[in-house]
Formats: sequence, structure tokens, C-alpha cells
Amino acid sequence: MQAHKGRHALGIAASLALGLAAAQAQAAEKAEVIHWWTSGGEHAAVKEFEKAFDAQGGKWVDAAVAGGGGDSARADGINRIIGGNPPAAMQFNTGKQFDELVSNGLLRNLDPLAKEYGWKDKINPVLLNAVSQDGHMYAVPVDIHSNIWLWYSPELLKKAGVEPPKTWDDLFTDLDALKKQGVIPLAQAGSAWTQALTFFNVMIGEGGKDLYMKVLKDRDVAAVKSPEFLKVAQTFGKLRDYVDSGMQGRQWNQATALVINDKAGFNFMGDWAKGEMELQNKVPGKDVGCIPALGHNTYWVGGDVFVFPKLNDKAEIKAQDLLAKVLLEPKVQLAFNEKKGAVPVLKDVPSQDMDQCAQQGLALLKKGDYVPSSDILISPDMSGSITDLVASFFTDKSQTPENFVNRFAQIIGG
Amino acid sequence: MTAETQPRGRKPRRLTASRIGIYAFLVFAAAFFLLPFYVMIVTSFKTMPEIQQGNIFGLPTDFTLKPWSTAWAHACTGVNCEGIRVGVLNSFEIMIPAATLSILLGAINGYALSFWRPRGGNLIFAVLLLGAFIPYQVYLYPLVRMLSKVSLYNTLPGIITVHVIFGLPVMTLLFRNYYVAVPVDLFKAARIDGGGFWTIFFQLMIPMSGPILVVAAILQVTGIWNDFLFGLIFAGRDHLPMTVELNNIVNTTTGTKAYNVNMAATILTALVPLIVYFVSGRWFVRGIAAGAVKG
Amino acid sequence: MKPLRLRRLSAQVALVPTWIIVIFAYIGTILWTIRISFTSSGILPKYDFVGFKQYDRLFQSSRWTISVENLAIFGLIFVIGCLVLGFLMAVFLDQRIKGEGIFRTIFLYPYAMSFIVTGLVWAWILNPTLGIQQAVQNWGWHGFTFDWLSRGDRAIYLVGFAGMWQSAGLVMAILLAGLRGVDEDIWKAARVDGIPPWRVYLSIVIPMLSSMFVTAVVLLAIAVVKVYDIVVAMTGGGPGISTEVPAKFVIDYLFNRQNIALATAAASVMFVAVLVVLGPWLYNQYFRQDRRAS
Repeated sequence: MQAHKGRHALGIAASLALGLAAAQAQAAEKAEVIHWWTSGGEHAAVKEFEKAFDAQGGKWVDAAVAGGGGDSARADGINRIIGGNPPAAMQFNTGKQFDELVSNGLLRNLDPLAKEYGWKDKINPVLLNAVSQDGHMYAVPVDIHSNIWLWYSPELLKKAGVEPPKTWDDLFTDLDALKKQGVIPLAQAGSAWTQALTFFNVMIGEGGKDLYMKVLKDRDVAAVKSPEFLKVAQTFGKLRDYVDSGMQGRQWNQATALVINDKAGFNFMGDWAKGEMELQNKVPGKDVGCIPALGHNTYWVGGDVFVFPKLNDKAEIKAQDLLAKVLLEPKVQLAFNEKKGAVPVLKDVPSQDMDQCAQQGLALLKKGDYVPSSDILISPDMSGSITDLVASFFTDKSQTPENFVNRFAQIIGG
Repeated sequence: MTAETQPRGRKPRRLTASRIGIYAFLVFAAAFFLLPFYVMIVTSFKTMPEIQQGNIFGLPTDFTLKPWSTAWAHACTGVNCEGIRVGVLNSFEIMIPAATLSILLGAINGYALSFWRPRGGNLIFAVLLLGAFIPYQVYLYPLVRMLSKVSLYNTLPGIITVHVIFGLPVMTLLFRNYYVAVPVDLFKAARIDGGGFWTIFFQLMIPMSGPILVVAAILQVTGIWNDFLFGLIFAGRDHLPMTVELNNIVNTTTGTKAYNVNMAATILTALVPLIVYFVSGRWFVRGIAAGAVKG
Repeated sequence: MKPLRLRRLSAQVALVPTWIIVIFAYIGTILWTIRISFTSSGILPKYDFVGFKQYDRLFQSSRWTISVENLAIFGLIFVIGCLVLGFLMAVFLDQRIKGEGIFRTIFLYPYAMSFIVTGLVWAWILNPTLGIQQAVQNWGWHGFTFDWLSRGDRAIYLVGFAGMWQSAGLVMAILLAGLRGVDEDIWKAARVDGIPPWRVYLSIVIPMLSSMFVTAVVLLAIAVVKVYDIVVAMTGGGPGISTEVPAKFVIDYLFNRQNIALATAAASVMFVAVLVVLGPWLYNQYFRQDRRAS
């Protein structure tokens, strides 16, 4: 009797376990993804991932966190990873932002997947390098973005009777002409990271890529004190005279929209601005002009990656595997990056369908005229200090370029 | 509470220049305090094109209710466009248990500290007192880690716990000061009658705590409702209180800024504490005086 | 009747939740925070010991310097503004005027609203393109500019001003209660002696209300040290970093900048500063009285 009862109970337990397993199998491919793609264009792009993942049996659980150029989303994700409640995947910028998570063993080593799908031969080597530590792959890059674009409204330039700029002097001529027309010469957003982005545009466009590498990669203080860098600071400072007072509180996409809608002449923004153009059925390169790093035409290799925190649940790990695979499928890469305004991370994705600006970018990449993004070269901490300095300089006209250079040297000198 | 007695200033005289001056000042000050509320309301009934014309103080010429419905049900935070109503529910879910628990705990503390003089009572009191004044930033990070350890971080019980923790100093102080004024003989009599700790608390103390309970409720309801920092850090995505939702709506990067929707959402967020304020009247002032240590 | 010890025990048991909170949430967290501030932690705590390195960095950081300066500016405008406006309102309300209740209600209602709401409303009114500036220009004064919110060197003043709008009513309420306690005989005597009312206020009433003023100042000072919400809502710390404040510095470095060691160092500095300023006052206020009473 006793034995029988025991067996009975066992039977119930077994069927329960089976039921549970079945339920788990059903929910197996559920993956919560933290990202900060919340503007209209970005949202449309991320939907492509969601569609492809769901089509292959996954269930994308969207955990978008808006704000601060990704600051809030990263904080949310990191706190959850540390707090033992990690998402299945989370977004970072290509670079050093997730280094510490790797060295603390909180992220999955993706080597087995990379081997299975042959990623190491397919992914652009600059990016592969950026997502690897000690030869192991810890993140899946999903797009290549260049931050250093200058967008302009051809119509407003025509009205003002000026040509698209080729040099920084040209730009200031144009800006003056636009000012006379009574339109906003330079549409700038209020958040500090957009001002840092504008600064890097000047630093690479005006100063050139050697200066950029010397300063950010080699941390060469002499390069910061050089006349070239002072010129960068002066040029950047001059831009302060061409922004409008609506800058404060304006978001990046609102600044870009001003150029798209011919309300402002110029805007410095990354190529994700194209997502906003696409949304309004404007063609990048035609309706809105693009210049990669005015002066020294250069491409900036940055972008976004997804990391996969270590999980215990087998089903969730399976979902991670599927998601990682989907993100790097050529078809998905193309669809996503077209909407996102970015370049696919795979080497063999055809480029003829891409818009004129992306073509320009690809040509620069092929020629080797590119720099790694600042996130790849410097720590989030130093990056933050530079952003602070740049933003306080840009919003306060009483600060001199000389002073800016000195403080910049202090940050670089550590 | 002295505010309820008659004014004792100089006797009113005829309408002299100084009387006119006094009224002019008061009316001017009133206008200053009302102006933002007026702007909020008129803006929330305007259409965006009208707002773009830049007449911020003008009455709406093209009266519309749409900003209100948008703010309530369709405004976006990130990619979710469900309006501020999500936050309302969350705020109530947080506020009701947090206020109840912290008041109860505060009352128990105040009672225990003032009548039973337990060992370490002074230490508790000193720490809580200091705790009320210290910037929250000192506690935040370890608290995040501690709550994560017990799986409460980013959960509803978690944010309630945080509110109880940081409501404790003011609540304890409030009840302690109230019970200190209760004649000790009453307490002694109850003890001679054989009343234990909880009997005396529930049968003697609580029934005579009516006024202070009201004051405590006003303080906690408005305080917790108006909190932003804790909600931001501890509530987690699914339980964000209204203040945080509001800030997210205002800062969401889709399209142009809809100032009318923002203002409607702002008024909605301010509504509960305002109702508490107008309904409670003098009690609110009493709360301010009693909770004079509130941070 | 249960033995005394047992009943004391139930009092102790009742205080167990409070003890847990006091030990873990208050004392424990403070010690933990201070400990981390002496390490080289980044995203995750690392329990090495690097001395005062983080503090060195903190005081060299321009963001921190700006934050502290802003706190001082905000604090001065906020506290002095609230005291002056609150006192004036209290005095004028105390003149047996009609509609006192209505005025009082109007003066105090902002205090019921959160700093988030306050910040958003004022950011809208002071909006450099569509706010006051545009309205005044529309009224015909075309040269009028008021774009302080977009000026790095001025925005913090407006934050202080908005804060004053929210809290001046608090001072009014506290001082009005005090004024009602002033003896009628003082006014009679003053009138007999022909002393002008403003002199009476200045030399007699204000000193009489000194404890009320202290309470108000302490309340306002706490709000100053904790100031965070209103900055987030009104300026987000901008333009640039020109309206950053220490509380925001800590939150940003804790949760966004991935440098908890520097963040905890900043928090510890705030803690010590408050302790040094408030400690003696608190002791004076509560514990000396206690001793006297018992």
C-alpha cells in the first residue's frame, strides 16, 4: 500500500514535471531584450529583429528604455545583471562599455556559436576585434554606425545662394548666409552626448584622423597642446554662435527633423539620422545632403552590439542562441540596417541597394579612411569626462578655447 | 495649532494707502503663485499649432480636449504608448501599502519609544533622526545590492519596502512627539489593569491617535506620491510611479514635443496631492508643522 | 499581570523591524558606501583599498566643482527667496485682511506638488522659444529676450527661482503660526510709543520668531542638499552640465557612468558635510531637551 501510494505520488510528480517541461518548451524561445532604440526610425528598425526572431519560433519581449543616448538603458540592464535578474540580451555601443562585465564573468562566451556559424570570417575585422577579449567573442555586433556626419538642407542652401561646404571655412560662410536668411543655421540638440558628437565631428574633420588617434588612442598630451588641436577647439567654439536658443531641451531627432523639414541648415548627427529621413519618406543624399567628416573625409566605425548575460535556465539559453543567430542572418542584417540607416556588419552583404550616403561610407571603409569610435578607444569614464567638458564649453560662451585645451589635456593625461 | 486662532496684527483701519499696498502685494503674490497653474491649464486645452504661435498666456482660441485623452491613454514612454494611466495605477499600488505600513510602523515605534523605554531606544531614535536629514544618495547603492540579494530589487514589494524604510524617521518622530504629550498616568493605569504591550497599543493608543493619524496620512500620501528618485531607481519597469512616467513622457524622443499633452499629463500627476491639499485644508498646515523634520 | 520583563520583551519584539531597518538600511548602507569609496570599483564593487584616490579625483573633477557651486547658488536663491517672500506673505496675511483663507490656500498649494511637476511647469513657462520671451515679443516688445534657460551661466538661477515658487508657502505657513503667537500687548505698547510697525517687526517680532526661522531654514536646507528632481525635470542638468548638482552627480555616476567608487566618494562627502552642519543642531534640538526633561 505504502509503496503503491509512493508510486502514485511519483506518477503525479512525473506528469507534473512533464507538463512543466512542456510549458517550458513552449515558452522556450522567450527572450527579453533591453535596448534604447526608441525614436521613430529606430523603432521601425528594431521591429525587423523582432519579426525575424518571432518568425523562427522566438518570442521577443521588448524592454526598450529611453533616454540619455542609452545611459538609462545600460544602467537598467547592468543593474539587473548585477542584481541576478539579467535580461536575455542587452544592447551596448561597440567598445569598452561592457569590458567590466566580461572580466567579472557575467557575459556568455560566444565562441561556440561563432564557430558554428563561421562568424569570425564573416564579420568586419574592426568590429570583431572590438567585441573580443583575449581572442574570445563576447558580443554580437549588429550595425556599423558612423557618428561623424554633417547633414544639410540643399533647399535652404540654395535659397541662401551658397554651395554645400567642402572645408570648415566654407561651412562658416554658409552658416553666415543662413543666419542672414533668418533660419536656424545649425540645429543642435541639448543633450550633452549630442554636443560631444559634434565635437568629434570637428576633431576628426578639422583635425584629421592622425590627431584623433594620437589624442584618444595614444593619450598624447603634446598632441592636445598642439596648434592643430587648438584650431579644433577654436572651430568648435565658433559653432556656438550659430545655434538657436531652442537648443536646450531639444532631442537629437528633433534637431535632425529641423534639417529634414528645411527649418535649419545644418545638423551634426550620426547616420542613424537617416532612419528619421526614411520615416518621412526623404531620400538621404538627395533630399537631405550628407558629408562624412567635413574636411578630412573619414568614416567612424562604431555601432551597436548585443551581449548575452550568463543564464541558468536551459530554455532561456536556447532562446539566446536563436536570437544571436537571427541577428546576424544576412537578410535580417540588411532589413534592419536599411531602416536604421547603418551599414551591415557582415562583409559579404551586397551594397548596391544602399543609399548614396551609405555608399560614400562604404567607399571610405574600403579605402581604409576610417577611425575606431571613441567608445572603442577610451573607457566610459574618460568618455564621460570629455562629454562633460565639451558640453560645458559649448553651452557657455565665456569659456575660451585655450582653457578648453588645458582641461582636455588634464583628462587625457589622466 | 496657533494658525487657527484669530490674527493679532494691528487693528484694521480705514482704507488707507498702506491697506491698499497690503492688498496689492497679496494680489500680486497670489497672481505669481497661480500663474503656472493657469499656464498649465490653458496650454493643455490648446492645439499644437496654436502653441507654436507662442502666446503662452493667452486663452485657447481653438479649444480642444484631445491633449487630455492623449496624455491619459496614448502618450508614449519609449515605444509604449499607453499614456499616463499606467503610472496612476502603479502610484496607487505603491502608495497605499507603503503609506499604511510606514504609518503603522511609525506608530508602534513612537509608542514603544515613549512609553516602554526599551533598551537601545535612544540609539534607534538618534539614527532615525539623523537618517531623516542625510541625503539619500548615501544609502542608494548598498540598498540596491541588498534588495537584489533578496530578489526585491525592481519589484513592487521592493519599492514599497524602500518607502517604508525612508518614511520611518518622520513617522516615528511624529508619533513619538504625539505620545510624549499623552499623560503618563493613563498609560500606568492601563498597565495596572493588566494591559500588555499590544493591548494598550490597540485599545488605548490608536483610538486616541485620530488627529495624528490624519496628519501622518497626509504626509505619507503626498510624500510617496510625489517621490521621483526611489521610483526611478527601485520600482522597475513594470511599476514606475506616475512622476517617473511623466518625466519619461516629456522626454521621449518621438516626433516634436507635444507641450499640450505634457501639460495635461503634468496636471494629472499633480492631481492627487492637490486634492489631498484642498480637502485637508488646515490639516495640511498642521502636517507641515508636525512633520517639521521631513526631508 | 505579566512580569515586567516579559512586557518589555514584547516592546523589543515590536521594534525588531525597526532594528533591522536601522542596522541594515541606515547604518549598514552608510558604512558600505564609505567602504566602496576607498576602492577602485567600476560597475561592480571591488574590495581593494586605494586610499583617498577617488576623493582626489572628485575634487579635481570639473563636474563636481560645478555641481557644488550650483548647489551654493541654488541654495542661496532658494533659502533667501523663500524666507523673504514667505515672511512678507505671513506678515501681510496677519493684518486682518479679508479673504485670508483664500490667499493662504493659494500661497501654499505649490508645496503640495512635486518638484518634478514644478520643474516641468517652469521649464515650459521659461521655454526660450515659446515661453515668456515669445509672449512678450508678441505683445509688441520685439527686442525682449529672456533665454536664461538656454544659457549655461544663468539657468541655475531659474531653477532656484522655481524652487522658491514651490516652497515659499511653507515658510509662510510656519511663520504665520509664529506671528499668531506674538502677544497683542507688544503691538499696543508699540502703538502707544509711536514706533512704526516695520521697526516692531524688525527689532521685536523677528527675534521672537527666531526658532521658527531656524526650523524653516533647516527644512529648506534639507531640500537644498537633496535637490535632484527639480533639476532633472527642468533642465536635465543642462545646458551642457551647467545645472548639475551633487545629488545628480552621485546618481549619474552610480547608474550611468559606471563608476560606483567615485559616486560613493561623492555621496560620502555629502554625508559628512551634512553631518558636520546638522549634527550639533540636532543634538541641541532633541537630546539636550531630553536630558533636561528626564
